[in-house]
Amino acid sequence: MASVDLASVSVREANEQIRRLGAEGEDVEVLNSDARHHIGVGLVHPITLRIRGSAGYFCGGLTDGPRIEVDANVGWGLADNMLSGSIVVRGNASAIAGVAIRGPDVVVHGNIGSRAGQVMKEGTLLAGGNASFMAGYMMYGGRLVICGDSGEQLGQDMTGGEIFVGGRIQSLGTDATMTDIEESEVDNLVEFLERYKIPFKGRFQKVINAGKLLRYARSEPRVRVIPFFEASESTGYWNDKVKEDVSIKAQLGRYRIRGYGAARALPHLSDLAFKRDLSMIPPDSGAVERVELATSLGGRVGATPIDLSMPVMIAPMSYGALSKSTKIALAKASALSDICDNTGEGGLSDEVRAAAKRIVFQCLGGRLGWNIHDMQRADGIEIYISQGAKPGLGGQLMAKKVTPEIAEIRGIPAGIDLRSPSRHPDVLGADDLVIKVEEFREATEYMKPVSVKLGAGRVRDDIKIAYKDGFDYTCLDGLQGSTGAASSEVLEFVGIPTLAAIMEALDALEEIGASGMPIVLMGGIKDGLDTAKAIALGAHAVAMGTSAIIAGGCIACLQCHVGHCVVGIATQDPEHEKRYQIDPEALNIHRFLESVRWQLASILNAHNYKNVYELSRSDLVALTPEAAKITRLPYAPEYREAPQRLQVATG
Amino acid sequence: MTKRMCGIAGILYKDGTTPRVLGSDLITMLDGCQHRGPDSTGFALYHEGTENDRLRLRFFVGEGEEGATTLARVKAKMSEFGAEVIEEELIGSTARVMVRFDGDLQEFAYAMEHVAKVVSIGSRLDIVKDIGSAHDVDNGYQIAEFKGSHGLGHVRLATESDVTPDASHPFWATGFADIAIVHNGQITNYWKMRRRLEKRAFEFNTDNDSELIAVYLADKLAQGHTLSEALESSIDDLDGTFSFLVSTQDGIGYAKDRLAAKPMVMYEDGDLVAIASEVVSLNRLFPGEALATSEPTPGTYRTWRRST
Repeated sequence: MASVDLASVSVREANEQIRRLGAEGEDVEVLNSDARHHIGVGLVHPITLRIRGSAGYFCGGLTDGPRIEVDANVGWGLADNMLSGSIVVRGNASAIAGVAIRGPDVVVHGNIGSRAGQVMKEGTLLAGGNASFMAGYMMYGGRLVICGDSGEQLGQDMTGGEIFVGGRIQSLGTDATMTDIEESEVDNLVEFLERYKIPFKGRFQKVINAGKLLRYARSEPRVRVIPFFEASESTGYWNDKVKEDVSIKAQLGRYRIRGYGAARALPHLSDLAFKRDLSMIPPDSGAVERVELATSLGGRVGATPIDLSMPVMIAPMSYGALSKSTKIALAKASALSDICDNTGEGGLSDEVRAAAKRIVFQCLGGRLGWNIHDMQRADGIEIYISQGAKPGLGGQLMAKKVTPEIAEIRGIPAGIDLRSPSRHPDVLGADDLVIKVEEFREATEYMKPVSVKLGAGRVRDDIKIAYKDGFDYTCLDGLQGSTGAASSEVLEFVGIPTLAAIMEALDALEEIGASGMPIVLMGGIKDGLDTAKAIALGAHAVAMGTSAIIAGGCIACLQCHVGHCVVGIATQDPEHEKRYQIDPEALNIHRFLESVRWQLASILNAHNYKNVYELSRSDLVALTPEAAKITRLPYAPEYREAPQRLQVATG
Repeated sequence: MTKRMCGIAGILYKDGTTPRVLGSDLITMLDGCQHRGPDSTGFALYHEGTENDRLRLRFFVGEGEEGATTLARVKAKMSEFGAEVIEEELIGSTARVMVRFDGDLQEFAYAMEHVAKVVSIGSRLDIVKDIGSAHDVDNGYQIAEFKGSHGLGHVRLATESDVTPDASHPFWATGFADIAIVHNGQITNYWKMRRRLEKRAFEFNTDNDSELIAVYLADKLAQGHTLSEALESSIDDLDGTFSFLVSTQDGIGYAKDRLAAKPMVMYEDGDLVAIASEVVSLNRLFPGEALATSEPTPGTYRTWRRST
């Protein structure tokens, strides 16, 4: 057995050695572990790792297959997202032990802290002693065994899995219930206890999800298609959209859920104009060749940057909300246009990985589809804090869309009304976030850029934290961003418009003298003109979601949540998905992206700029008092008279 | 309110004859969790054996000429209150002054605060905080040799405009002697609680919720409650996520919110109790030993007194 001494090497160096030794089939002993964070993160070999002392946060996190033994105690997030293998801890574990596990045996001889097994999906988490409050919080599956007593709110908001308690249960959580324990389950438990030599003589009680609260009793009624324009209040107060809302609520007795983003008119990039008259730009096939649009993201702390042929990315949209065919078409289009795709929530499929030249893998609070292997084959890692369409809220995926395949990749029971948690189990402040980011960097050997996605809420504070926490870049998503499903009140009224968000972010970074952290702006970016304006304001790049989807066949009926998308985009029904033609739609999206490139190039040509980052605020004016107030650009209503629409080159 | 993220530490030696050195132990603990807050570091230290009418005051006065001018203003105001200056020192961006004073402390403290930014006031308490790491602050203020029975420490990651020392922790309970707080978390009913205290003529010098906790507890103590009682009621009265440590002339205590959203671990043996955000801070106190650490449960508090 080889040994690694943390008294003489850093955790980063130790993990490199451990990974190398593991790949060679060698077992490793860690000396002077000193409760350091991230010991054994990112292991994908069946190595045996003996930690002679205490370990800190995320011990054995983001792993598949190792057998880890810890002689003393462990900190937060033991076995975070471990896929298989085992961890045995002789002492106690701190908060969220076994968070998001997907198959291993995690055995703690002593006590476990609060929220043990949060969002766990498969495998066994066992405490020989007591569990603190909210054990099994939001668990989706697997087995949580507490030999001693359980604290308050056991099984709070669990949707699947089983909890066995040997001692006293202080209280059950919302929607958890006691049930009878079967003989075979007892036999399995006894076998498990014997295997790990846990002394236990008592009788277990069993707790499962009651299934009363986390189900929508009625699905959303089918409704007729109301065009987006009709859905906005610009068509009158008691318009068709408002009337429909009222009548649907009269049936449901609750809030409405729908797809897309805010329909009301808000100050946006379209309220800005370039001073230069762009309407006179003649069609010019050489426009693109004369300018430099290429850029990269993510070299801030030494990772391999993500190269982009133009400052445009595909916005994160989940596999789950969207069909696999749509995800593949987006990936293909991003490759054809030589830009970067994003997984969104719900994992990275082989087909999407193969189709995308570059793809960012997103990590959300439910850790649905999140795993070490896809982290390692992605080009960048992104932690989602929130999104512009519904900042501060979790996702909703209606049961109709939770097919066996979606359930498989996400690691959850098929056919449940899936709520993604609104926050990360292990990020409750910026100090925790630092440690989380470091875990991602460890797991990917510091090679992948790590970014953060922020829905525009408290932008001023959040962007400073993103900077301080060392993210390579920040994706900032405004209120005009869309989603597959959210309550319509939230879509319309929660969040900060994209234009205000970018201004707050830039002001905040300037306030603390921060430089070098690019912002990727998203939320209602619809063309090259918006892109140019965003960059002129100070964004480094933009990301497009809705416009890419529309380019690829979306008819904007706002019914994404229902699951019957008539064009096969926002559906998991094979009959509906059949209508989606991957290759032609990929080409459509690609052509749209090329139109963005052409518009950008033409705008640069009109200004005699060679590089896209020569665009600046001084090129812009504001067309409305609101936009002028938000951006502090000169208010110039006379520019409303000169329509600036750029004709997209055809052929 | 500025958001804060940080690491906290506290230690109390139960036996007055301990060979351990408070300053050096706190530096060691904070160095262990400096990753939680690289921007500024602070210490609340309690001196031994002071006479009843002596008060220690520390002010932020700025450096060089600015420091000297501000100190002169401070001393002028002190003499109005009949406080006799015994010792004075300009060090780093602070001025340390010891006075003989036996008047109304609250009135005196508020008056001082109106002249210069007070860091701490107490017969034993001395708060030292500045930008930089634990070792940086030690280099500037010679913390490592400080001997005493108990103290607190804090490392902070700042997100406000400038990283300035006055936003760092620990916080003194404005207007009360010898009470200090280090806090990790966020009090969400800050303004409600602050207005409640302001109605009773308490003053606040920052918008920092840690100052609120300090004043809240100090007020309870002044009303005759024990530290345990004050901590117990704080768990009911304060909303939000918090793990905080409080220190008084003769002891320390902790309180942890019911959601346990902020970390806290402790180690206790017959000689000392040490509490920190992370186990690594505790381990550093006993290199090479397997420590039996524990985690305070949600919604709990505890106090320890130094031996007299």
